[in-house]
Amino acid sequence: MALPHRNTLTRRDFLRVSGAGAVSLAIAACSAPAQPSAPAAGGEAGAAPAAESVLLRIQANPDQETPVYEAFKQNNPNVEAEFISVTGIDHEEVAAKMLAMLAAGEQMDLGFAATEATQLYAGKKLSLALDDYVKANEADMQEYFADVHPSLIEAMMWEGSLYQLPRDFNAANMYYNTGAFEKAGFGHPDPDWTQEDFYNTAKTIAGQEGGSKTYGYAWINRLWGSWMPWIFVNGGNILTEERAPGGEWMWQTFYTGDAAADGRGGGWRWLAPQANLAANVEALDFMVQLFNEDITPAVELGGGETLQGFFTSGTLAMTPAGGFWSGGLANAGMENGAFDVQLFPKWKNQRHQFGTGALFLFAGTKNPDTAWEYYKFGASKEGMEVNGIFTPVTLTTPSRRSMCNAERFANTGPEHWEVFYSTLDDHPDTAPIPAPPISNPMTTLFTSYTARAMSLEMTPQQALDGMQKELEDLYARDGEGMYNLE
Amino acid sequence: MQTSTTYSEGATRPPKRNWLYFMRYRTLRFVGLLLFTLASFIVLAPFAWTLATSLRLPTESFTLPPQWLPRNPDWTNYNRVFEEIDFWRMILNSAIVAAVIVAGQLTTASLAGYAFGRLEFPGREILFWLIMATMMIPLQATIIPVFVLISRMGLNDTLASLILPSLPTAFGTFLLRQYFMAVPKDFEEAALIDGAGQFTIFSRIYLPLVAPGLAVLAVLVFNTHWNEFFRPLIFLLSRDNFTIPLGLNVLKGYMMTGSVSVVLAGVVMSLIPVILVYSFGQRYLIEGIMMGGVKG
Amino acid sequence: MSTTVAVNSQKRRSRNPFALLFENTLAGLRRRRAAIGYLFLLPTILGIIVFTAGPILVSLGLSFFRWDVFSPPRLLGWDNYSRMFSDPRVLLGFRNTFFFVVVAISMQIAVGLGIALALQQRMPTWMRYYFRTAFFLPFLMSGAATGIVIGYMLHKEFGPVNYYLTMIGLPQVPWVNSPNLVLFTIAIAYVWQNMGFTLILFIGGLNNISTEVLEAADVDGAQGFKRFWHVILPMVSPTLLFAAVTGVIGGLQIFDQPYVMTRGGPGDASRTAVMVMYESAFKNMEIGYGSAVAVILFIVILLVTAAQFSLSKRWVFYQ
Repeated sequence: MALPHRNTLTRRDFLRVSGAGAVSLAIAACSAPAQPSAPAAGGEAGAAPAAESVLLRIQANPDQETPVYEAFKQNNPNVEAEFISVTGIDHEEVAAKMLAMLAAGEQMDLGFAATEATQLYAGKKLSLALDDYVKANEADMQEYFADVHPSLIEAMMWEGSLYQLPRDFNAANMYYNTGAFEKAGFGHPDPDWTQEDFYNTAKTIAGQEGGSKTYGYAWINRLWGSWMPWIFVNGGNILTEERAPGGEWMWQTFYTGDAAADGRGGGWRWLAPQANLAANVEALDFMVQLFNEDITPAVELGGGETLQGFFTSGTLAMTPAGGFWSGGLANAGMENGAFDVQLFPKWKNQRHQFGTGALFLFAGTKNPDTAWEYYKFGASKEGMEVNGIFTPVTLTTPSRRSMCNAERFANTGPEHWEVFYSTLDDHPDTAPIPAPPISNPMTTLFTSYTARAMSLEMTPQQALDGMQKELEDLYARDGEGMYNLE
Repeated sequence: MQTSTTYSEGATRPPKRNWLYFMRYRTLRFVGLLLFTLASFIVLAPFAWTLATSLRLPTESFTLPPQWLPRNPDWTNYNRVFEEIDFWRMILNSAIVAAVIVAGQLTTASLAGYAFGRLEFPGREILFWLIMATMMIPLQATIIPVFVLISRMGLNDTLASLILPSLPTAFGTFLLRQYFMAVPKDFEEAALIDGAGQFTIFSRIYLPLVAPGLAVLAVLVFNTHWNEFFRPLIFLLSRDNFTIPLGLNVLKGYMMTGSVSVVLAGVVMSLIPVILVYSFGQRYLIEGIMMGGVKG
Repeated sequence: MSTTVAVNSQKRRSRNPFALLFENTLAGLRRRRAAIGYLFLLPTILGIIVFTAGPILVSLGLSFFRWDVFSPPRLLGWDNYSRMFSDPRVLLGFRNTFFFVVVAISMQIAVGLGIALALQQRMPTWMRYYFRTAFFLPFLMSGAATGIVIGYMLHKEFGPVNYYLTMIGLPQVPWVNSPNLVLFTIAIAYVWQNMGFTLILFIGGLNNISTEVLEAADVDGAQGFKRFWHVILPMVSPTLLFAAVTGVIGGLQIFDQPYVMTRGGPGDASRTAVMVMYESAFKNMEIGYGSAVAVILFIVILLVTAAQFSLSKRWVFYQ
């Protein structure tokens, strides 16, 4: 990374930043753009580690990442790690820290990004494409890709290149309170249960007489897992979806003969808004109907801690969530067996939405080869098994099929844990939440207009028309150059 | 306190010993006190729920009717706080940061407040307004330039990065200026006649008189920096340097999978030091008033 | 400038400026007091220049650029400012902020002063201590807890507040879910958290009222409201000014409560100026635009504060 100011605090620099006069100079000093270094040739990757000690600065939760590093260090004693702990829960908090670090020219080697940020970082040349490394390590990587569903891989691609090896993912499935279901006379729903089945179940539970009221269904106002699952099963999306060209190198090398990889490209392109699509309006109509019929409580606007509490206390029968919730519910004191999970109900189809996450390599890393070695180890089965997000308690769904097993969910539940991965296997059209490089301002608009409809301030049609208009403005202002369009 | 209490008693005593008047007065007082007590219960209710929830599992907390009292208290949530974060270390970090900032701000603000409140010099008004103006920019707007500065100074990931920028205080300067201005002039004139030097007048005469102001500032500043979240979030990188609000956020867990009860157990424990500071500050505040003279 | 300071007096080279300072005259005393003034201000001024004013000027500069940190800043001129005036979210953010400040700060001052007055009534010491602590305690609550606890208390369907309201036959109030109500709700949460500090200020202010003044009022037969309006209020007016000025400065920068309770919703009904600024800078990565919002907010706060000070000359009474 070209960071001329990194180690030189001259008196003049100091005055530039602090002093009154030289505002523009200060800005120049502030801006230490992350210059992408040319991806190192993958040829020598995997060679014997260099003798001198190398320090990796890793932006990760030390509780989770330290066991991975300890295991890695056994074979790489020369590698030291420093963890940069970002405790922000929200994207803005994490972004604020990242931007400050970058502005100050802080050197970092590995960072974490979820779907929301994958294309942003790739598009801004902050993260490093892994293509050369993956190709150079074909033998090692075969095992990884054989274990990971191509949908997840495709979600980590941008314009034909792969930027991250998925570590965990969460599709929005339907969690339900088994006690509330039993009381109303329902058993475990069929995998192909329909939107109508869902409606009848929720309505019956919410309409029960006697005792304190149990609501049928609730959700949190955000991008992932809000009413987005209903948009997907109704065949809609708020942005147009298209596959970027490229990516054959991936599918032809690692997924030959896998039908689920057929027709995949070089990553998703979300090129234009389509918020007021009829399917979307219908889905939001359904949400408002549930609210008007007192099946759903008022939508959660804050962080969602309370919704989890209400679900564990049995005042809520169903809510959309992924594998991460099993750990959360167990932590909140819900007994194994008190909750279970099924696929999201079928409407026009049963296409789910998911988000995935993993570390990435900073384009500015000075030790790309060592960083890659660490990265590869972190994605290996050994590295993933010891990761604090999977051990001792499962806090999220592993991206590896072989790690989604009975043993993993034996203590916490849910009984039908296999739903998590069969979402991908049985519904290969399942796709990531729409997350173009401008996903953050897009999310603000999405949640803002969603809440307008849910508070009955606007009809679903009005709200989605408004969302569409503002999304069009956003695309006109910032949407150019997000993808390499010819 | 003594003086004003004695006085208040006199003031609220009914002027006439009329029986009917007396009864009405008594009833009004009783009803007023009842409402006041009720209001205090409402204000405290969130604390009751926080405490009760920290002593049980979330499954039993989000129910109706609300559970205000901890039945069968269960201390495992408290144990888990210690398992999941280095609680004492974070408490120590927070205490160092908050205490040093309090000491620093009391010094800088009493000097500056005195200068603005009691001394005359060219440019006083302009300087006062320039300092006041720095209160009017939200912290979030300058966090990146401040972090760049901190990083260039090599203070990145140190407690000093939180302390140093917080030593001067526009708010504290304004607060103490008001207190200094409220002191009647007679005191200083008396001191001048006694031939006291300028610094002596400040430290021996004025500073004790604004003791309540210092106590108010101390409690406020300690609390602010004890609970401060955003700057530590940006400035601190390693767990060893974390302050307690960051620790509480760690307890929320990856993708919010932590237990609310464990978070609230952490909240309850981290409240104890600020409550202690408040109690001490309150006593000092009252004593400062009793030392009085301000009433002149 | 009638007062001569050491620095200014260097014109008179014939005399040592230090001698001027130590002159044993009234002018010498004045000079000494001025010099002490600058000396006392030094730590504050120095610190503020380095750690606050400098970064503020950098942010001011950034407001003329488009900058996302990833690439070098690009000069835009006044574009960020002109864009703001056609950005409905910014305008709404400022409107919401004003509305919030009027409601919340007047409520905060009224409640703080009211409780402080009530605490002046005759009651046992332990009771006074209890009340004072009870009303102050929320001020000590951390942000981590506020979001969770207040979210639970005010939840429309599952919250205790509505539970008790429905018990006495009232309907469930959509505290945070109604765009018409949400700012009141946030004001209530804000006052709950901040009244403790205002209370402490007024306890101090009321205790500073001299006994003689009150006795004189009693002799005049001033009672009840009259006594409050004509005697107590003027006497606590310096405290009132302080509470109002700092309350408004803080209130115009309202962020934490709506951020944890509503994320600015429903719609944009509780989105405040600082939230718009924060989201622009860190969510949309438009640091220049966020800085421009902050600059306008700064100007607004400055004007409001200046107005408060200039009006205060009419009603604030220093003993």
